[in-house]
Parts: sequence; structure tokens; C-alpha cells
Amino acid sequence: MAANWAERISAFSRSPSVFLSRTTAEAFLAELLRELRDDRASYSVKVLLLSPLCEHPTLLCPSDSVGEETALELMSVLDQCPPKSVQFRCHLLLALTTVLVCTACMSVRSCVSQDFLDLLLQMAQDTGDLHGDGALRSLRATACDCLRELEACSPGLLSQRLELLGGLRQRETSRLHQAYAGLHTLVLRNAVYRLTQDTGAGAEHLKALLEGNTSVAWEAELDSGPMSDKDPSAILSSLILGPMGTVPTLQTGPDCKELRSVLSSLLEESYLLTPLCQAALLHRLTEVVAMVPGVPPAVFRAQLLRLLGTSEVCLLHATLLLKCAFTDSLFSAEDEAFILQRLVVLSQHPLLGTPEKLFYMDCLLHFPENRPIGCGGDGDETLPVLLTPRLASALAPTVFNDGATALARLNLLSLVYLEEAEEGEGEESRGLAYLYEHLTSLLRVVANGGSREIVVTFFRAAFLFLFSFCHVESYCRSLTEELCKLYLRHTHLAPHIVNLADRAQDKLAESDWAVGFLRALQGVIADAPPARLTPRELSWHLKTLARVAEEGEIHQHSTVSFLSSVIAPSPSSLCTSGDWRLGNGLLGVCRRLLVHPSLDSLLLPLADILLHLTCHYGDTDIQDHARLYYTLLTTLSQEKLAGVLAQGSAEGGRQVTKRSLSCIMAESEGLASALTIHQTEKSIFGLIEARSEPPQGETQTEEVSDPHQNDTLPTEANAALEEYRAQFLVPGFASEITLNYRLTRIDSDSHFDQLFSIRLHFGLTDDHYEELGDISVPSLVRGRPPPEVRLRLKPRRPYPTTLHASAIFTTEDGLSWLTVLPHIHVAFRQVFAPLPAPPAWGNSSRRCLFEGLWDEMGAESGEDPADCVTSLFCCRLKEGALTDLVEKHFLPYLISDLSEEEEVKVLFFLPPRSHVLLKIKPGDPVHFNVAVDNWQLLRHLNSYLLTITSSQEDT
Amino acid sequence: MSVRALWIISHEKGDNVSVRFTRRFATVEHRAKILAGSSYVAVPEDSSVLQLLLTEMGLSDSDKCYVALRDDCLHRQRSPALELRVDSPGKGILWPVLAISHGPLTLVCLPIVDAPAEPRPPLASLLSVSQGLTLLAGLQTFLLGSGGKPDNEGLASRLAMLPSVLLQVCPLGTPLDVPLSGAPATSTVPTPAGNQKQPAWKTGLHRGRAVVNVALKETVRSMQYGNRSRQDLWDVYGTVTCKCEVEGMLPNVTMTLTLPPNGSPLQDILVHPCVTSLDSCILTASSVDNCDGSAFSGPYKFPFSPPLEPFRLCSYTSQVPVPPILGSYQLREEENHLHMSVNLKLHESVKNSFEYCEAHLPFFNRDQMGVVDVKVSSGQMDVSKEKNLLVWALGQKFPKSREVTMEGKISFSGATLGPTDPLCTELTAYIKLYFKVPDMTLSGCCVDQHSVQVYSSAKPRIITSRELQSKEYFIWNSTGTAPVSSGQMML
Repeated sequence: MAANWAERISAFSRSPSVFLSRTTAEAFLAELLRELRDDRASYSVKVLLLSPLCEHPTLLCPSDSVGEETALELMSVLDQCPPKSVQFRCHLLLALTTVLVCTACMSVRSCVSQDFLDLLLQMAQDTGDLHGDGALRSLRATACDCLRELEACSPGLLSQRLELLGGLRQRETSRLHQAYAGLHTLVLRNAVYRLTQDTGAGAEHLKALLEGNTSVAWEAELDSGPMSDKDPSAILSSLILGPMGTVPTLQTGPDCKELRSVLSSLLEESYLLTPLCQAALLHRLTEVVAMVPGVPPAVFRAQLLRLLGTSEVCLLHATLLLKCAFTDSLFSAEDEAFILQRLVVLSQHPLLGTPEKLFYMDCLLHFPENRPIGCGGDGDETLPVLLTPRLASALAPTVFNDGATALARLNLLSLVYLEEAEEGEGEESRGLAYLYEHLTSLLRVVANGGSREIVVTFFRAAFLFLFSFCHVESYCRSLTEELCKLYLRHTHLAPHIVNLADRAQDKLAESDWAVGFLRALQGVIADAPPARLTPRELSWHLKTLARVAEEGEIHQHSTVSFLSSVIAPSPSSLCTSGDWRLGNGLLGVCRRLLVHPSLDSLLLPLADILLHLTCHYGDTDIQDHARLYYTLLTTLSQEKLAGVLAQGSAEGGRQVTKRSLSCIMAESEGLASALTIHQTEKSIFGLIEARSEPPQGETQTEEVSDPHQNDTLPTEANAALEEYRAQFLVPGFASEITLNYRLTRIDSDSHFDQLFSIRLHFGLTDDHYEELGDISVPSLVRGRPPPEVRLRLKPRRPYPTTLHASAIFTTEDGLSWLTVLPHIHVAFRQVFAPLPAPPAWGNSSRRCLFEGLWDEMGAESGEDPADCVTSLFCCRLKEGALTDLVEKHFLPYLISDLSEEEEVKVLFFLPPRSHVLLKIKPGDPVHFNVAVDNWQLLRHLNSYLLTITSSQEDT
Repeated sequence: MSVRALWIISHEKGDNVSVRFTRRFATVEHRAKILAGSSYVAVPEDSSVLQLLLTEMGLSDSDKCYVALRDDCLHRQRSPALELRVDSPGKGILWPVLAISHGPLTLVCLPIVDAPAEPRPPLASLLSVSQGLTLLAGLQTFLLGSGGKPDNEGLASRLAMLPSVLLQVCPLGTPLDVPLSGAPATSTVPTPAGNQKQPAWKTGLHRGRAVVNVALKETVRSMQYGNRSRQDLWDVYGTVTCKCEVEGMLPNVTMTLTLPPNGSPLQDILVHPCVTSLDSCILTASSVDNCDGSAFSGPYKFPFSPPLEPFRLCSYTSQVPVPPILGSYQLREEENHLHMSVNLKLHESVKNSFEYCEAHLPFFNRDQMGVVDVKVSSGQMDVSKEKNLLVWALGQKFPKSREVTMEGKISFSGATLGPTDPLCTELTAYIKLYFKVPDMTLSGCCVDQHSVQVYSSAKPRIITSRELQSKEYFIWNSTGTAPVSSGQMML
């Protein structure tokens, strides 16, 4: 089982949704908890078992009550766990914390969370391990971690324990003081924050809080009311957010002796913490000092020199945040210049990794200046005043940089030179020249066959350059030329080229670079000798020309003559080849020309081209489309033509077309969404059980219609059994049950009003049934009655089950969708079938059979004697209730006559070959004598009988 | 200051991708949800994360030359914080996803954003980002070992240790420390109770003879063009690595770096967090600022209290007046062969005693080598025709003249094409030098044994060493166009 668990847990963590589609969260959780309690399971497996609870607690505990129950279970496991399994106990603490936090048990302060909190506090104070038991110490450390996380998720939770935690921290001399310090600072920060939210709070409350004088402190706490009333995200947010952030303050006056002493003690010992914890501590204390103006930021001064020289990214980052919070009240102008220089150095330091260097570069663009000009608070990148072009030159991009670095550097230097150009009044800077040269060196690398990554980097760099310098004409013109040359050498770059033109057009509204660039591309393509083009090159050219033809401003004569020259030499190799893709490309250009504003002047040559394609192109599909376009062109006015083909509005000179299935041919780019199966966010419809018509009808009427045949039929039990059993030799006999459902809409989204070609797919959650086939439903239209769906289930074992269902369907607009249906629960009663007696049998033969089966089962001598069992179910029923019960639930399965009062005989057949026999004797209580030939059905039967009899009592 | 999830994936340039380890921190996710409010985007399942990540890193669909989602020129991958565009259900952008790669291994984490989600806060305002980067770097070192070379078995066994490692260094998603990559070699004893607090970064106490080992290593890089219009470049950076086996909970050690008279000042000094205090003048000199001659030039004192394991005490850069080896490289295209002449000169200040010294001359974008007719004044020449590479092994010493030359002709008449490179076309070609000189530094910087002071136990044994090695040491052919390698010189 152990190996199995490892596999199952990893399957769960890989994809919880897939895993849970094969079982239910409830069942899985129950299994996990059972195994956790099992003494035989090893602790390493048990640690593994906790990981689903740590990683996906809300999936396994969907409601708070389940969360609470789970937490109780885990607490009892913890109780019984021997002290030496420290690792497991640590993981248990983590799991408990996670479950309690994520299922709101913590926020409503439920009993179990209170118990857990007390337990953690007790563990944190239990310093019995002082003399070197490292294992116990790690349990204490984990308890502190859990407390810290609880405080982080429910800020203020431990405010009352501030003094206690401070004491624990100060007394601790082992490495554990770090855990206490982290906990202490967070609790301090949250407690101070809560005081700031209370208008009445002041120095005295702060003092009380720090000294553990909770009665005074909690006065303030109570005044401010529960935190849940306010925006819950505010207290979780960092308070150091740059010039735009506001910090809530606590007015204390200059005398905060107690707080100062706590702060200096924490700072003095900060050196003893790991860099990560030091950084977190500094940040928390920065927040505290920012909130309490009575404490001067100078408390941090003693740490600064050590921090400014650090090689640790998180420590320098914490220092930058310190600067952000206190600006010139802590950092002089020289400090500022020094830090900025450091950032430049670190952004290109040979000993640092790329991610760190890029991070430092980002810090440069969001540098916390002592006197920021303007507000950089909206996330925009701004240059610090001190970052001169000379300083920034250390970050000039080169071809040796990796893609991300080259782009980040180009971006930064573009900002630098943009500013310089503004100040330098049009004088062309050397910096700009350098950047352009860098761009062309990248272009040369691309031209010489650079890798895909370099290609992408180059086009991004080109866009960045244009974005900043599209007003500098000389460079833009030259870039256009270089790009055209590059394109002619490497036509496969067409998608990149078109993408660059698109983006430049979208984002550089004031510049017409994109149109000029497209015009130039049209020029170089038209000038290229068509005879030497390979089919590949031609297809890229057609793609580019199609994009050029979208520009209303660009004359299309050269495009048209290029097309003519490509197909002209009759018989041209292109036409005879009949390449569908190329034909499609040709038509794509023609199609855009058909809606071009200058169509009038293109009419004749374009008609010639279309006619030529109609007559000579070697592919029928292309011919047909060409003929259609030709007909449209020659018979419709330009407006109508545009109406037919464009189906959309022209946007900024560029025609935008909507995707539609009728133009797939020419719009291969739009195909993706039509060919993709989209997934609905919610379930659109579900299967609702239809009240089934009585399945028994046939047998009973038959009996009535044919009362005379009774005599020839078996009246002796053994003979009846034999004849009955003989039927089962026919394969597939009575092996199915049919369930009726209606496909019913459960979502009101009007987008899904009309659904077509619905294909339902079913999945099993256990192996009690055979796989189901798919079922097709032609349509589901709002306003029409819901279509019927019949599920034919073939049980292997007739137990209740749950089915998964999903459906693929098409909406009106031609898109395909996948939706998941709510699970279908098949109840035990739904598996019942009437006795599959031979059709000729009458009532007496059935009774015979019933008695025969009853005797066999009673004597445990049935087909599989070991499985046969009899049982008794008793209950009290009111006067007449039994008759109602029989009529309501047992009628289709009744063997005795309705009129027989002393004993009611009922037989459920459960495919493939199980029987449940009931002899019901009225009285007080009512006796249900039960015989089954499959003992495992008993528990399902019991709960079924309980349900129907108790519901009978209610009525 | 926590991370929501952590992934470790392995891939070969986007192929054979697999998630080797994954961990989600549900309580941090809980906080992320409260913080982000309506703009919360849940973390999708691993397979989607993987797909989105590969697309964002430009590694998906490696067979296609253009994929709009991956290659759009508008979309600048803002490494180290990537954006994952999560599709339905739960549409939105997952940010900031931090990723660091080494070889086939990519480590990824998603730090919490503890600031209002709209508008997007700057990366620099989120402490969780630098914490995430530190955690990832630490895990990377732990997984790959100090050599940085992942072997499959070692990697698998370290991955299996991660759950218990994370319990220590990142319980509940809050990074507290980075994993120790190797157990300290010294004998340690559990901490006795006392008044002095034990540093959290010290796992135990050393017992035994005190030994301090200080290794100074300088690395020199160079770009030499042999061209008047373009200035040659070289720079040096040094690291001081220490291993201190010293008794005491918080022993005081001071190490001093000294420069020779009129040596140029050490710049860009970065120190290990165990350094207790610094004189501000030590930090002032910077490579990006033209410092004046009056700058502080030592001695550089570093007081610290060492951790048990080896650590990098400090690093610096230095501007030395001359490169250790000055080279010239000239190629001439003649009728059907390439004529080459090379000259390498060892500067007189450099000790003429190498551990190794090799010059590599690769040729790209040409047919395979045919006849190679090369004469060298010293050393040995190895020809690797398949790789179109000449390797000139100069051995341990330059000749007395401190100058070596090579003259010769190569014809490229092989039947198949040799290796290609988009940068080195036509006459753009380089020599790359690999060398290591023991017991010297280029800056002249040194650690005097007597300057290492340990203020606690008996007189310690002090071992110091130094060495110089090359990295990215290029000499470009002066008759071809060479790529610009630094904007600083051009601007």
C-alpha cells in the first residue's frame, strides 16, 4: 500500500481535478484520515499523506464544518503520535495550520482553532529541550512558524501575547531566537497597526501593549471593533509603497521608551539572523517606525554601513525599502548617489546571475529618490535624476547579452537618451547612435542565421527602439531599409515583420512609420524577379502583400502587377502545380484588394487575375473561390462588395474583418478559434432524472390478458428455478438497466441559448459498471422542452454509483465548446428491475420461483451459497402506512397480490444476477424479512429501507 | 514576504519537459486571495503552469519559427518577473513569476504581492521578490551542488530531500534560510547553554585546532581588437573565499587586504553578511565612476564572525593598467586559403609560470579544414578538423622573450560544412585564451598571513593562497569587423 500511496499522492498533486474526477474529495479525505490513524502505516508515508491537506486544503475540505472535523481528527492524531516522530509532528502542525486558516475556522475563532493556538503557545514556551535535544527544538521552531503564519493570516491574533513573545525571544540563546524574532516583529507590527486604526489610541496604549498590560491595551482593541469590518487586505499590505503610499500613524509624542528599547534590541541582534530573516525583520521594523512618528528613523543608522556593502540581494532590497520609507530623514544626498551607483554596478556585476542583475535594473527604474519629481507611483518606469548618461553607459546593450538583458538595457538607455534629447534640443546624441548601431548589429546576427531567440529579441528591440525614437526620421528610414533587405534575404521572417508593422501601427499613433514600412516592403517585393522565387518565398510574399493590401493609404497597383506576373507566364508553373496553399495565398491578397478603397482603379487587372485563376488554376477549390470573387467583383457595387466581404468596420485605415465560417478559405489566421474547443466556465446544462413510467407495466398486463396458460407453466419451485435460470445462459440477458433523464439547462447565459450537435460523454468513478458509450443529442434550444436522454447502464455489481459527464457542443456562431455537467448520482433504487421471468409466466409461476429462491437463500444453498444471507428489518409504521409504502415503492416488484394482507412478497432483480427478496409482515413493528443472494447488497438495502420507511412516517 | 508556490522543472530546450517537484503553500494563497480581492488569479494546475511558462520563456513549440502568443514583439519578457496569461477558468495574469535556469533545470516560484493589485505595483516595492530570488538561488545551489553540473542520480536524491529541506528553510511558504549545500567538514558540538546567542546561520560550534584558510582568486576578462579606432578592454574582479575553523560562539576574526604602493584602489566591494562593520571609505570606489587619484587604497579591513562552512567573504573589481597577455591576430583571405599570423606577449609584471595556458582559434561558417600548415615559435599545436578548431597549448612557460608567434595557412577544402555562428562571419574571428597563474594577482592585492587576526582561541594556523585565471579573454582578428562588447567605451 505504501508505494501505492506515493503514487496516488503524486497523482493528486499533479492534477487534483483529474484525480478527484475518479473519486470524490470526501472519500479521498476519509481515506487519508483513516490511513493517518492507522498504526501500521510508517511515518514517512504519513508525512506524505499530509501533503494534499497542506497544498489543497480547500479542495478536500470544501466547507468550514468539514475543515473543523478534519482539524479535530488531525489533533487527535497528534495527541496519539509518539514524541519521537518529530518530523511527522512538525508536518502535522503545518497541516493543522493550513486547514484551520484556509477553512475560515481560524477567522471565526472556532473551538478547535483555539485549542490548537493554545497548544502551539504551549509548545513555543516549552523550553525543556534546553540541553541539546535538537529534535525537540525543531518542533518548537515549527510551532513558532505556525504561530507566525496564523498571525500573518489573522493579523492581531497574538497581540495580547506581545510581552510573552518578546520575553521568549530575549531569553532564547539557541538558533531558535530567529523564529521568535520573526514572530515577535510580525505581532508587534500588526498590533501597532491596529492601534493606528483606533482614533483614541496613543502612547499609553502602546506602552500597555508592550508591557503585557492587556486590560488597557484591549480597551483600545475593543474600541476599534473587530477587524473584519474594515478592508481585510489593508493590514496585510506592505505599508512601504513609495511616494504615493500613505502610512497610518499612531500619535505618541516623542517619548516611546518601551518601543525604542524593543526596536534597538531587535536591530542589535539582527546580525545573528540569516539574510532572509534579517530582510524580513528590517522590513517589518521599517513599517513600525513609519507608523510611529515618535520614533526617529535614526534607530536604523547603525545597521546601514553593513547593509550598503552587502552582497545579498534581499538585504540590499530591504535597505532600498528603508530608503523609500524614510528618504532624507535617514539617507543623505551622498548616500543616495552611492546607492544609485551600487545599483548600476550590481546590474552588470560579473559575479551575479542574470535574474538578480535584471532585478537590480528594475530597482534603478523605480529608484526611491529622496526628493522624487512627479509621482512614479503608478508603476511607471522613471529615471532617477542622478542616473546620468555617463553612469548609464555601463549598461549599454551589446550583442553578447542574453535576450532579456539586452532588451532591459535597451529599454533603460532609451529612457536615458530620450531625456537627453529633450534637454539637448534636437542635437543628435552619440548615445542614440550607439543604440541604433546595436540594433543593426543584432540585425546582422539575424541576417547571418541567428537562432530563434535572437530573432525574437531583435524584433522586440526594433519595436522598443521605434517606440522611443519614431520621431527621429533618419534612423527610422534607415531601419526600414535594413528591415526590407533582411526580409528579402529571409522571407520566412514575414510573420515577425507583419507583427512589427501591426504593433507599430497600434502603439505609435502619431507616427506613420508602419505604413511607410509596409509600402517599402511592397516595393521590394514588386521589384524582385518573380521567376526566381521559390514556392516558399512566394507564399511569404503573398502573406506580406495581404497585410499591405489592408492599408487604404497604400496604392495597390504594384501588388496587382506582382500577382499578374506570378501567374502570367502561361502556362505558369504556379497554375499548373495547383498548390492549394499558394492559391489560397493568392486569393487572400485578392480578397483584401476587393475591399480596398482604390478598387475602382484596380478593377480590370484584378478581374483578369481572378478570371485567370478561375480558368487555369490547377485546384478546383481555388478555381471555385476565384470564380466567386470574380462574380462578386463584376456584379456588385463597391459598397455592397465591402458589405459582403468585410463584415466589419474599418479601423484607423486598416480594415478589420470578423471571423466567419464562410470565409475560412481566405482567413486562415482566424481559423484557430473556430477549430479550438473552448471550455465553458460554468456548467451549461445537466441531466435531471425524469419520473420514469412504470417499468413493470408489461408483465402485469400480460398476466391479466393471458390467465389460462397458467396451468402449462411450472408450478413446482425447482422446475421454475430451472426454467428461470436457463434464461441467463443467453449472453446479455437482462443485464442492463435504463435510466431516463432530461437534458436540462442550468445556466442562463444567453450566449448558450441555442446549442447543437451535443455529444455527451460519461465517465465512471468505480469499476462496478461497464464503460458507457457516448450519446448524441441533436439540439438544446431555449423555449423548447428539454430533450430526453436514456442512459443504459450495465452493472458488474449492482451498487449505487456516481457518473461524471461532459459534453461537447456547437453554438450558433459555429464555435465548439466543452462543458462539464454536474455529477450524476445513481441511487440504489435506480438499479432495481422487475423479475425477468419468461414472458409466458403467470403469477403462480412467479410465486413458485419466489418461494424457490427464498428457500435456497434461507438454506444458503443458492448459486453461490457463501453470498446468500437472510436478515430482518423492523420498523414502526402507522395504520395504513404499509399499504401506501407498498403502492408507492414496491408496486413494480410485487409478487404477492395487492389484496393479500397477511404477507407482502417483493422481489427486486438487480442485474446482472442478484436478487433481493422481501417478505413483509404487518404488525407493530412491521417485519421485513429479507433474503439476498449477495450479502454486500444488505447495507445498501438497509439504508434504502430506512429512507423509505422514515419518509413514510413523516407523511 | 512569502511565496505562493514553487516548481522545479527540467527540460532540454523546451523538449522532454517534466515537473520534478512542486509545492503549493495554501495559507499564502489564502492571503494572496484576500490581498488581491477581485483581481485574484488562482494558480492553475501544474500542466497548465508548465505550458504557460514554456510559452513565456520562449521555449514552447520549438519547431515553429513564429507563434503569436510566444513571439509578439510588443511583449517584452520582463525577466526575472514573468507573466503567465492564465486562460479560463479563472482568466487573468499570474505575476510575478520568478524563474531561474541553469542547464536543464529551471526553478520557479510565485511570490505574494503584498500591495494593492491595481495598478500593478513596481517589482522593486515587493520584498517577496528578492526573497524569492534568494530562495531559488539557494535551492539551485543545493540541487546542482557547487560544481553546477547536475548528474541525474545526485539530482534525484537531492530532490527527494526537498520536503524535509523545505520544512527547515521555507515552512508554510516563508523563506527563512537557504539550504546548506554541504555539511560543514569540521567537527562540531552542540551548543552549550550560555549568554551569548548563537547566530541562526551557524549550525554548531567548532572544536579543535584553529585553522583559517583564505583563498584570493582574480579573474581577468579582455576584448582586444588590435585596432586604433577601437580601444582594447580588460577588467579584473576578485573574490576572497574563507574557511574558518575557529572555536567560540561568535569569534572575532579580522582579515586585511593590502595593495602594493601605487596600486589602483579596489572597487565595487561587496561583503558577506557575516561582516560585522565596515569603514565607509572601503565602499566608495566604484567602477562606473571615474574616481580621483586620492581615493582610498587600503588597507582594507574586514572584521567578521565566520560561519562554519566555506563562504565568500568579499569581492571586488579592479582597473589594472595593462592586460596580462597582449595579443594580435591577423587573418588574410588569399586565393584558396586563409593566411594567419598571431603574436602573444606576456606582460613583464606577470609571473611566467602558468598552471596552464592555451589559445583556441575556432573558424566558423566555412567548409571543414583541409590542409593546415602552421608554425609556432613555442608550444604545441593541436588541430581538430571536425570542429574547425586549432588549439595552441603554450604549456607552463612563455620563452625568455615573453613572446610567442604563430604563422601559417589553412585551406578549407573539406567536403562538409564546419560549425556555424551568426556572429563570426567572413573575417570576424577570434582567439580565446585560457590560462591560470598560481600565486599571483593582477591587481597586486594580497592577504598577508600576519594580518589575519583571530581574537579568541590560541594562535591559529593561517593558510593563504592566490591565483589569477582568465575568462572570456578574446583577441579579435584586426582585419575583420569585431562586435562591440561594451557601451561604456563607445560612449
